[in-house]
Amino acid sequence: MNLAMLKPGEYGRITKMGAIGPIKRRLMDMGVLVGEKVKVEKIAPLGDPMEVTIKSYSLSLRKKEAEGILVEVIK
Amino acid sequence: MSSESGVQSSELNNPPQSPLNLRGDKRGVTIAVAGNPNSGKSTLINAIAGTRLHVGNWPGVTVEKKSAMFEHEGRQIRIVDLPGTYSLSPYTQEEIIARDYLVHEKPDAIINVVDATNLERNLYLTVQLLELGIPVVMALNIHDEAVSKGYKIDIKTMEDILGIEVIPTVATKKTGLNDLLKAVTSNTSVHHPKKLNYGSDIESAASAVERQIKNSYPQLLEKNPLRWLVFKLMERDSYVMDEIKIGDNISFIEEATKHLIKAHGDDVESIMADERYALASGLTHEVLKKPEFKKMEMTEKIDKFVLNRFLGIPIFLAAMWIMFKLTFDVSTPFADWMDAMITGPFKRWAEAILGLIQAPEWTTSLATDGVIAGVGFVLVFVPVIFAMMFFITFLEGSGYMARAAFVMDRAMHSMGLHGKSFIPMLLGFGCNVPAVYATRTLENPRDKALTALLIPLMSCGARLPVYVVFIGAFFAANAGTVLWSLYVMGIALAVLMGIIFKKTLFKGESPMFIMELPPYRMPSFKSLMIHTWEKGKHFLIKAGTYIFAVSILVWFLLNLPWGVEHKKDSYLGQVGQVFAPALEPLGFGNWEAASSLVSGLIAKEIVVGTMGEIYVQSTDDTDQTEVPTLTDDLKEMGTSFATAAKDAAENVISTFGVASMSSEESTEETEERTPLRGILKGQFTPLSAYAFIVFVLLYMPCVVVAIAMKQEFGTWKWFGIAFAYQMVLAWVVAFVIYQGGKLLGLG
Repeated sequence: MNLAMLKPGEYGRITKMGAIGPIKRRLMDMGVLVGEKVKVEKIAPLGDPMEVTIKSYSLSLRKKEAEGILVEVIK
Repeated sequence: MSSESGVQSSELNNPPQSPLNLRGDKRGVTIAVAGNPNSGKSTLINAIAGTRLHVGNWPGVTVEKKSAMFEHEGRQIRIVDLPGTYSLSPYTQEEIIARDYLVHEKPDAIINVVDATNLERNLYLTVQLLELGIPVVMALNIHDEAVSKGYKIDIKTMEDILGIEVIPTVATKKTGLNDLLKAVTSNTSVHHPKKLNYGSDIESAASAVERQIKNSYPQLLEKNPLRWLVFKLMERDSYVMDEIKIGDNISFIEEATKHLIKAHGDDVESIMADERYALASGLTHEVLKKPEFKKMEMTEKIDKFVLNRFLGIPIFLAAMWIMFKLTFDVSTPFADWMDAMITGPFKRWAEAILGLIQAPEWTTSLATDGVIAGVGFVLVFVPVIFAMMFFITFLEGSGYMARAAFVMDRAMHSMGLHGKSFIPMLLGFGCNVPAVYATRTLENPRDKALTALLIPLMSCGARLPVYVVFIGAFFAANAGTVLWSLYVMGIALAVLMGIIFKKTLFKGESPMFIMELPPYRMPSFKSLMIHTWEKGKHFLIKAGTYIFAVSILVWFLLNLPWGVEHKKDSYLGQVGQVFAPALEPLGFGNWEAASSLVSGLIAKEIVVGTMGEIYVQSTDDTDQTEVPTLTDDLKEMGTSFATAAKDAAENVISTFGVASMSSEESTEETEERTPLRGILKGQFTPLSAYAFIVFVLLYMPCVVVAIAMKQEFGTWKWFGIAFAYQMVLAWVVAFVIYQGGKLLGLG
């Protein structure tokens, strides 16, 4: 299960960062860390990118990047 | 998360003497301002430095550098605004600039601007700043918003844990700024950050690396703060590794971090990022009390509409339409006014004065047609640059720019661009020059360069007069369709070139789109004004000089050798004759067309003017009738400025203004150019005419765009590429149209 598979309104907890290199570090710098709770807020009108809430702020990222972030669904 | 309790003071973080310690020191104090994007950093620095702010670029890159020098309580203060960053990792241009400055320039102190409404993510940067051992004062900004949200921040505890002074500020209302300046210039002992404890695994690895550095590489410590250096080596930070030339002798680092990596099962860089966030969130839990019940925030409410699946794009397009209209509607009357003033009264005065002192004829021509026309040429761009900067700054400051990128990213991504590229491209339809300047809203140098390369394919307003003349002469029956085809062709070729560039010039560089959607905020009027003014000033001085020089050069081209009777013999005509054969296969291989195209280097609308001059000989002696007096002129200047202001205001009120205005313009054009049209009909066939206007659409950017590109990128490289590919593209497309048309029997 990865972040791109969550639907708007759903929550997940990050279990693994699949991304590597600069993208991984950039995501981590933005607070996308293992163990973090994340909520998918919206998908852009054209289907990509998506908006999530993490560390109580809004972050947008493309689905391609989100696919590298593994999550478990939480209620 | 016991980390922040294990604070210890360290002599390592305290340089033996700090310039701040010297009371009443007349020496300058250098203060760097660091903080996250959207933390209100730029508003804060504007509020502190105001008009003393100097905006330039960081050396060699296109990132804006703002700095100011001023005196505060008898002390010279130099304040340098670092690019907004989330971190000090080496992955973005901004981050590299910020950390290079902090490590190498060693400012006396750092003001760390922290968004009080987004404490945890902002503190992540703070934690990294503390590693540098430079005195830090925190500006806990946007404090009013945090209070109104019901946040309670325990400032005292935060100061105790971090060992730095924390000053609540509201930059938009100028609250707390005096305290901030006082804190940062006063005795420094209170600002020396404590050494935060990163947990036993990291700390023991760090001690091992530290020992090794002290023993084997003591010289590195002259240039680098110890703790920073240790951490960067542990992270194998590529920049630091290259810089200190430690070479392959990294076995001691490997040895020291072996246990750490094993225990955490990740690379050190990630472990460190994790720990820094742990420190930031631990601190946040300690000092921040949020209300239990969270009401729906303004930003959320707005985004429900603005980012809505169905409404998102219509709202975006409407917003863009309004911005585009406002930018060009507000500026056009003023630009026209400036143009009229310069070609009217100023030119007349200069002629009168030069006539009075009996200057030779050629100096009069140089002064009026060369110098004054050149100045005018620079000035007419000023209103549009000002207007564009104002709206772009507003879009960015309000938080809408990020939404625009979010909504448009999918569409722009397909041609290798970023969502934010849309706005510069759109502005390109008005004028390519502000469009190139607008690429600075893109953070990634690759996105910026690619966007700038494609902008000239957006058919700007200056090309319209050329289309109008030719369409009027050849395609009056299908005017709308032909005009439409040109705009669409420009867009289609931009998509095509975008894809080609993505796969060639920018191959392998994968841009990422990881972007904060900041809360909506009203940008301060002062910030807007300062940005607008700085950009306009910058353009006037820097770009103005070049444009001015080029227009004088063109005057010489047109008028030399001195006393040329026929335009064909002028240098421009000679250049035209050289190029004409190359245009033969396109259907317009004559020196007249070639010379007109060469003169279009200045601005594409000049193509029509030059054609008029060349084809329609001896059309002057028209306004020899009555020369207005000086008082008439002055009166006229005043009233026409008032009219311009009124027009601009009316255009704002009815954004439909431009539609009516441009149609007026084209009728005006029709009457004026009628003789030219007749002649063109003899010189071109409809097919070669179409090939010609397509060529005008596509061939080289004008000189002002060239200069804007040079200014934005600090090198002529991108203009060179744009020039080359556009020339080829224009030739090929015009060739295909003309020869293809002939084959189809259209010629």
